[in-house]
Amino acid sequence: CKSELENINKNPNETTTAQPDYLLANAIKSNADLILGSDASMETTTLFIQYWAKIQYTDVDKYTTSTTNIQNVWTNLYSLGLTDFNEIIKIGEQTKNPNYQAVGLILRSWSFQLLTDLYGNVPYSQALRINDYLTPQYDAQKDVYAGVLADLKKAVDLIDVSGNNPIKGDIVYNGNLSRWKKFANSLRLRVALRIADRDDATAKSVIASLSKADLIASNDETAQLIYQSSPNQNPVARDRETRDDYRVSKTVVDKLVQLNDPRLPVFANKTADYTPQGYIGVTNGLPADSAARLGFSKTSKLGDYFTTATSPAVFLNYAEVLFNLAEAAQRGYIQDDAAALYKAAVTASLQQFRVTADDIAKYLAQPAVAYDKANYKKSIGEQKWLALFGESLEAFAEWRRLDYPELKPAYAGVLNGKMPVRLTYPVGEQALNNNSYKAAVSAQGADLLTTKLWFDVK
Amino acid sequence: FAQQVSGTIRASQDQQPLVGVTVLVKGTTRGTVSGADGHYTVPAKAGDILRFSFIGFKAVEIPVGAATVVDVALESEDAALQEVVVTALGITKEKKSLGYAVQELKSKDISEAREGNLVNALSGKIAGVNITNSQGNMGSSRIVIRGETSIAGNNQPLFVVDGIPVDNTQLGIGSGRDFANAIADVNPDDIESISVLKGPNAAALYGSRASNGVILIKTKSGKSAARKGLGVTLNASHTIEDLLVLPDYQNVFGQGTGGLFSYKDGKGGGLNDGTDESWGPRMDGRLLPQFFSKGEAVPFVAHPDNVKNFFVKGHTTNLGLSVAGSDDKFDYRFSFNNSKQTGVIPNTGITKNSFAVNASYRLNDRLTINTSANFIRSESDNLPGLSGRGNSVMLQFLWFGRQVDTGLLRNYRANGENDFNWNHSYYSNPYLLLYENTTGQRRDRFFGNVNLNYRITDWLSATVRTGNDFYTDKRKFRVSYGTNGTPYGSYTEDAYVVSENNTDFALNVKKKLNEDFELDGLVGGNVRTNFNEQNYQQAPRLAVADLYTLNNSRDPLVSYNIFSKRRIYSAYASAQLGYRNFAFLNATARNDWSSTLPRASNSYFYPSVNASVVLTDALNIRTNWLSFAKIRGGWAEVGKDTDPYQLVNTYPFNQPFGSYPLLTVSDVLLNTNLKPEITRSSEVGVELAFLKSRIRLDVSYYQTDSYNQILRADVSPSTGYKQKLLNAGHINNRGIEALVNATPVKLANGFQWDVTVNFSRNISKVIALDKDGFLNDYKLATSGVTTLASVGKRYGSLYGTAYSRNDKGEIIVGANGLPVKDANLQTLGYYTPKWMGGITNSFSYKGFNLSVLIDTKQGGQLYSATNATGRYTGVLASTLPGRDAEHGGLSYYYPGNNASTAPVQVANPTAATPNGERVYQDGMIFNGVAADGSANKVIVPAERYYKAVYSNSAGIQEASVFDASFIKLREVRFSYALPKDWVRRVYLQGVTVSLVGRNLAFLQKNTPNIDPETAFNTGNGQGLESLQLPTTRSYGVNLNVSF
Repeated sequence: CKSELENINKNPNETTTAQPDYLLANAIKSNADLILGSDASMETTTLFIQYWAKIQYTDVDKYTTSTTNIQNVWTNLYSLGLTDFNEIIKIGEQTKNPNYQAVGLILRSWSFQLLTDLYGNVPYSQALRINDYLTPQYDAQKDVYAGVLADLKKAVDLIDVSGNNPIKGDIVYNGNLSRWKKFANSLRLRVALRIADRDDATAKSVIASLSKADLIASNDETAQLIYQSSPNQNPVARDRETRDDYRVSKTVVDKLVQLNDPRLPVFANKTADYTPQGYIGVTNGLPADSAARLGFSKTSKLGDYFTTATSPAVFLNYAEVLFNLAEAAQRGYIQDDAAALYKAAVTASLQQFRVTADDIAKYLAQPAVAYDKANYKKSIGEQKWLALFGESLEAFAEWRRLDYPELKPAYAGVLNGKMPVRLTYPVGEQALNNNSYKAAVSAQGADLLTTKLWFDVK
Repeated sequence: FAQQVSGTIRASQDQQPLVGVTVLVKGTTRGTVSGADGHYTVPAKAGDILRFSFIGFKAVEIPVGAATVVDVALESEDAALQEVVVTALGITKEKKSLGYAVQELKSKDISEAREGNLVNALSGKIAGVNITNSQGNMGSSRIVIRGETSIAGNNQPLFVVDGIPVDNTQLGIGSGRDFANAIADVNPDDIESISVLKGPNAAALYGSRASNGVILIKTKSGKSAARKGLGVTLNASHTIEDLLVLPDYQNVFGQGTGGLFSYKDGKGGGLNDGTDESWGPRMDGRLLPQFFSKGEAVPFVAHPDNVKNFFVKGHTTNLGLSVAGSDDKFDYRFSFNNSKQTGVIPNTGITKNSFAVNASYRLNDRLTINTSANFIRSESDNLPGLSGRGNSVMLQFLWFGRQVDTGLLRNYRANGENDFNWNHSYYSNPYLLLYENTTGQRRDRFFGNVNLNYRITDWLSATVRTGNDFYTDKRKFRVSYGTNGTPYGSYTEDAYVVSENNTDFALNVKKKLNEDFELDGLVGGNVRTNFNEQNYQQAPRLAVADLYTLNNSRDPLVSYNIFSKRRIYSAYASAQLGYRNFAFLNATARNDWSSTLPRASNSYFYPSVNASVVLTDALNIRTNWLSFAKIRGGWAEVGKDTDPYQLVNTYPFNQPFGSYPLLTVSDVLLNTNLKPEITRSSEVGVELAFLKSRIRLDVSYYQTDSYNQILRADVSPSTGYKQKLLNAGHINNRGIEALVNATPVKLANGFQWDVTVNFSRNISKVIALDKDGFLNDYKLATSGVTTLASVGKRYGSLYGTAYSRNDKGEIIVGANGLPVKDANLQTLGYYTPKWMGGITNSFSYKGFNLSVLIDTKQGGQLYSATNATGRYTGVLASTLPGRDAEHGGLSYYYPGNNASTAPVQVANPTAATPNGERVYQDGMIFNGVAADGSANKVIVPAERYYKAVYSNSAGIQEASVFDASFIKLREVRFSYALPKDWVRRVYLQGVTVSLVGRNLAFLQKNTPNIDPETAFNTGNGQGLESLQLPTTRSYGVNLNVSF
């Protein structure tokens, strides 16, 4: 009867064997949903970086972040995506498929990059090992980035483009492994620059080892997930089905207007009611009553490009690679023409948003767009900020590193005239991993939105 | 033995035949039991002494003479002292023989003042039982006996009907609807008695699920009542339900923000017309475009009863008919009951039809077969919604424009709109929600059992019983085209199949060992098989409007199904040794083998032992003032298994991404080494009766410890999991229960006044959560605040944001004039009450009977989202202070009329300002101190003041935690039984008319705007009020006629 009882308790609803392709598709979608979702983007970084603003429920736009949002970012990155990536790596090792291992490593590295960009010190070396560590210690941010760089290198070395080890479930590149290799190298470029102000030598050696051919080389190769129709629509599209409390930020509208930027009608819609200017952004962090007074129909909603069901979640775009190369050239890591790369980057971004060649030429001809070698952080910072519209997490990190564009804190911000430069740790960590949490706070500084992270020198 | 003695046994009082009287030839083992007509036959000869004994009657010994017919009339004993109760496995025992507390309710306590949910009928009547009521007049109720003994698991008792466990699960928690827990199906008219076995001591024989106590329901049978006439009983009742508590709304300011409002499209096109708050202009008749006026400016006026008038009176009509009869071989009872309930929310209701058959047949002297069968169909076209914009009307009425005339909304297709409403940013018309977006439910349920009893010898019998509880429960959720946020609507079907089978075999021994000792015992075995299935399918966006089928879908269907099965084998034994009918020793033992636990630990044994001594008999100290004294005590252990499939991790599916199936690593780490949970309990008690039993007292003290609790403990997600299944944790409950019955007045003319008081106090303490001490808090639920089981604290603490205070306890106010939130979350209260009690006064005179029950719970707290939200949105009357000069508002201006600068206070509304700035009159100064300890002087507008404190996301939750204590006038029954000689003239046996009322009024409560006694589901996350439906009071008439 013992065997009978055991048989009864076999779960008939779920499988006990994981299929790597199903896990892969799932985890990619989970991370994509996260970078566009309410927690990591709409209610936090996209407001911090002043792409969007709120016209109602403005508390979050004043930097009163919701503990739920902050908890969800942490929880979902670790327990939804990362566990799956780890399982894919494990299966790749067991089945001797280097490509599942490599893709798992790339996406795991990307997830940790997102985590440390947002929070600073995070559990890394002891993370995702519940049987060994129920209360994982936090690793210093520099160690996380170092680990990420090492894993990406390992992934690049593992990838087998011969076609002998195909992967399935790849909803980013549809099994094209040379593109995964490019994505991995482009991520290395991103992370190396992220630490450049702190660890020039490592940044230089990583970047010097990369050639252009190793990197994402066109808008077609951009790492992104293209969403589908309902129920797999873009999270922003899904949000707009029921909500109307976001508008485009005045900061970005004003900048686009000032630059005669042809991306303005892509990023923002014209106001619903006629207004002389057509495009009107909302100042970030207004008191609720002032925001409401602006009028829902007299302010610009986010452009249709970003609110359609099939709008992509971009992980790393071609323009970013070019901006990064421009900066690498400027810093002397590679021998190349920074100004030309900068121009190519702006061009790539305009092309990404389907701007015509004529308009691109006109745009580039403007003095305000020209590359300023003397203040490359300003040139690159401002244009990268525009090019990353829709990728608020990366934009938030790069704004902190480059210190451009110069943003004014939210109008009625609650941080005494400062801006958020990280997310606070989720409250759950204090309850569930308190000793590690305390150690992290004492190493990194007070657990505040305004505490600078290691990579953010200025 | 050629000679047989026979005769009829009757009760001396009313000459009714007595069934089941033990007849024994003294000094031998020969004996029998009287049959249905009170007849007996026993082999005996002259000179033998026959002993007739029956529970509740004085035993009689009669010598056999020459006559072969011996008729006997038995005199009843003092009923109160010889009380007979139903105990575990349906065994009837004398209460005095039990070593634990049992309390019983009789039929009329349940059926006269009927409740939609059977659980509610127990409120206030049983010491130690904590019931949290349904929202509205339908829905779930939660019952917990002697405090929560399981930190994470089910804390509700096991329900047993006629010896067979029946399901009381609340399926579909979290679907936005409060589906009634399953025991609500049982028809109160069919109930003869309800015994509450309070702790594991009483219930160890039921195994796993008994650690929370057992509610034993015995249904009426053909032989239950003295039968005369046709045996037909008709019961009819009608009750009306209306609102007991509705929030107290303000009627001064209408919709809007910052005092401004003008309607254009209801979603932000006008001036604040997308705002769902009432911080708008005064409703002083000023002319403004409004939602119904097609752009025309019309008077902006208050509609003070706009919420109240939305609700309707609920009606419950109940018709029951039963037929019962018996002869010496056969007895039966058949009943039919129809109850139709309409809700206080328009277009909601439940109809229940139930059929019950209870029959028993004596094939011969030895073999009896009993069967009972119940079929219940519970049907609803629409149940009230509880949460979410698409479901809950109270959500809309707390995020509301106070000027809205809800009467205009009745026609939700008015003005050529699909969804004519006062707001289009967030809400659909509330009538549209109720008439189009319906939630239907149909539950078809069968439960019953067949029971064979074979009398092997006089003292030994065998029983085989198999019983089943089976139901299907299907829900249909419609969301119509054009509903706000779901332009294409949706349609969902959610279907459950639930089945439990219990098959028992037992040998029963009842033997008088000698003059002094009597043994009453059994050994048996049980096989229990549970089977559950859920099948969920959704068409997420409909293809065409107004057609609700799964085929009518634009998108792939969202679907899943879950199947689960569990089996438990058990062996058990129980023995009661009685000494001279005044001292009793009881022992039980049980071993379970559960499929849900791993092989190594799926067998677990647990014993219990208890004893009682009737001191008045043992010491022969019965006097005029002391009529009865008994002491009792016991110890018990109960093991508990877990849910199926908790051992090995599996990979759940997510909704596919196009053609890619999605599979993920589960975010709960299961545990292959689970052990059973163990609950150990001890209790002592005393029962006393004074002054010829005019005063009776029953006091218990108990202590319960539960170990090895199976917990889904939250872990840091950085481990890769959200939760880990632990097998640790220890919670202790101890408490005292007292029950006093007294008859202060008993007059010769028949007037009698009885008082019953029950009191209970339970103290719970979470001792540990895990072995390593790494867990300090276990999260039970979050809704606004979080409820926790925290080590070292009472179970059910409310944990949330609090005011920052200085050493003197004064609230610290920031430079912006608003209170500062403490950086750390704080314990704000506990949802578990400190003590509960009830008092019933009943007065009877001739056929009249008046009974009044008042009950109370004291010392618990709750977080009220109704209060927080309604203050944030400015709809509650409690937001009036400070909003204008009339309500104490202070005067201020903004320098340069720039509203983003700090306001500057001025003496009065007509004071001059430096540059002629406009003076506002809604200034408030928060009562607190600045960082330096000086009194706060910073003036803020009222809207900012209330929003800062009561914001759901950023506010101070402490401000919305209230004392949940209350005293309620729970039940009033006034009945009149027509004199027997009148009714007999019209060939009736009895006619009783009753006026009944339930939940009539609060005599005390400290939580404004809501009923603090509400459950929002039957889980452990209580104390979290969340925009609940108002509770109801009911009153009506009940007629009982027997033919």
